[in-house]
Amino acid sequence: MPIIETRDLRKSFRSVVRGEGLGGAVGALFSRRYEEKVAVENVNFSVEAGEVVGYIGPNGAGKSTTIKMLTGILVPTSGTIEVAGLVPYEKRRQNARNIGVVFGQRSQLYWDLPLRESFELLRAIYRVPRDRFRENLAHFVEILDLERFMATPVRQLSLGERMRGDFAAALLHDPKIVYLDEPTIGLDVVAKEAIRAFIADINKRLGTTVILTTHDLADVERLCRRIILIDEGTVIYDGRLERLRDEYGTHRTLVVHLKDPQPDFALPGVDVEHGEPPMVMLRFDRRTTTAEALIRRVTERYAITDVAIVEPEMEDIVRRIYLEGYQKPPARATEA
Amino acid sequence: MFAALEPYIQFALKAMAREATYRFEVFTSIGSLAVRVYLLRVVWVALYAHNAAPDGVLLHQIITYSAVALLMGLILDIDQTSLLHDKLHDGSIVVDFMKPISVPLYLFADGTGEVLFHGALIVPSLAIALLIVHIDVPSAAVFGAFALSFLLGYLVGFCLNFTLNCIAFWTLEISAVQLMLTWVTDLLGGGIVPLLFFPAGFQQAIASLPFASMYSTPLLIYIGKITPDHYLQAMGLQVFWIAVLGVIATIIWRAGARRVVVQGG
Repeated sequence: MPIIETRDLRKSFRSVVRGEGLGGAVGALFSRRYEEKVAVENVNFSVEAGEVVGYIGPNGAGKSTTIKMLTGILVPTSGTIEVAGLVPYEKRRQNARNIGVVFGQRSQLYWDLPLRESFELLRAIYRVPRDRFRENLAHFVEILDLERFMATPVRQLSLGERMRGDFAAALLHDPKIVYLDEPTIGLDVVAKEAIRAFIADINKRLGTTVILTTHDLADVERLCRRIILIDEGTVIYDGRLERLRDEYGTHRTLVVHLKDPQPDFALPGVDVEHGEPPMVMLRFDRRTTTAEALIRRVTERYAITDVAIVEPEMEDIVRRIYLEGYQKPPARATEA
Repeated sequence: MFAALEPYIQFALKAMAREATYRFEVFTSIGSLAVRVYLLRVVWVALYAHNAAPDGVLLHQIITYSAVALLMGLILDIDQTSLLHDKLHDGSIVVDFMKPISVPLYLFADGTGEVLFHGALIVPSLAIALLIVHIDVPSAAVFGAFALSFLLGYLVGFCLNFTLNCIAFWTLEISAVQLMLTWVTDLLGGGIVPLLFFPAGFQQAIASLPFASMYSTPLLIYIGKITPDHYLQAMGLQVFWIAVLGVIATIIWRAGARRVVVQGG
């Protein structure tokens, strides 16, 4: 029985069409023409309890719209959603007790209050039993290292400190599901790692289901076994991360250091890119050729000093999908 | 029962704590009140030197009127629902809708906390005002009627502010309208000059507007210009405005909240 299930989810918005410039703005005050924009369409997925799912896609793909529908603050235009047995927009407040939310760009802490008082307020809001609250808070204070700034008003916290506070705030009431919307945005490497370790820990220890949207694929690689890729409002891939890498990351790069610079280095049928001489980079499809064969072909013609094989980065794979769209599975090695 | 109410009590307490953190504002608000009390006394004394008791309002009455109006302003000048406007403006209302709370009750609780804190400032402000001017003290019965009428006036103000802030659901920006409302309540509500001083026809027209419910009605009760046999009529009008504005506020809130839910934050 999945904890989250969406069927044929669709959300469209009506927005005012405005002419250009001042005339257009004034015109829009009087006569309004509307156009319909589809934010998400045909979104079908289900998530089992305890999964960590990366929900990724380019800006404007519909990630936030989906998250807002899952939290119950947006009503779908059509289709159905169920989260932990509830229809979120019908039972917004009941649903809210089951979920925790962290926005990288927006805090749920109370700006003027010391961090400790924000937590106290959340205890009352979620009616967390006092014992449970004390236990949870003690645990979060320890692993997120909050003690030093518990008495500091939130507006004086650094971004890293505020995010740690926000994570504790989202989890104080033991939610079954947490939605994390770009939780590592703007953080330094150390803070990012601390947040990732925390997410992995609560998932492992408490079995919390995690839906993570991010543009930092290192987050996804570190935390998610499964990803859902969304583009232009529709799900274009749903499955294991490795499968995407297998299907799409078919190209490796052979980096060759030549003995002497070769400005007109060429190899029939191989995509060559010139690096800082005497280095050249050869892109090849691992299904049609092996590194060994390629090296042999190079050494037949040129003298070399060193070689290295570079695996495709997740970033590159996803960038290609954003640019070219996802074909399933890639028909063949598409040579650029 | 307590568990259900506790979040809202906490919201009110936290709002008080928040207001208290702006200590500088507290001192300036008391300080500026003292200056205004003094200036109004100077102005009325000068005006009355050549014209004894216009419309039967004596000098000590007009000074009492002005001083009490300024003290009431400590509460009535607060836009208790400005939080709604701020939250709509920066989009953080979305976070509140993701919590298991009633958002309008939250706003009401927060506003109440804010008002209670500023209301407490009346005590030191009154002490300072008494150093500058003499304030008439009415009988207990009259004072009771004044307090009740003030509460009704406060609720009228709450509905007006709430409705105004709900407009931000559509426009996001309301500061111009808000400035207008402040001027209108001060002038047409009798916050600065008693409505008695206006020409008769005009006076009657504005006395029936909701703005007069905020300052004029309780103040005229305080200085005895509304006599006990007219209390029912005066406060009846206040209750009428609370009902009308309450319905309008509810309708606008519902439409606004629906807009967030359908159109996104």
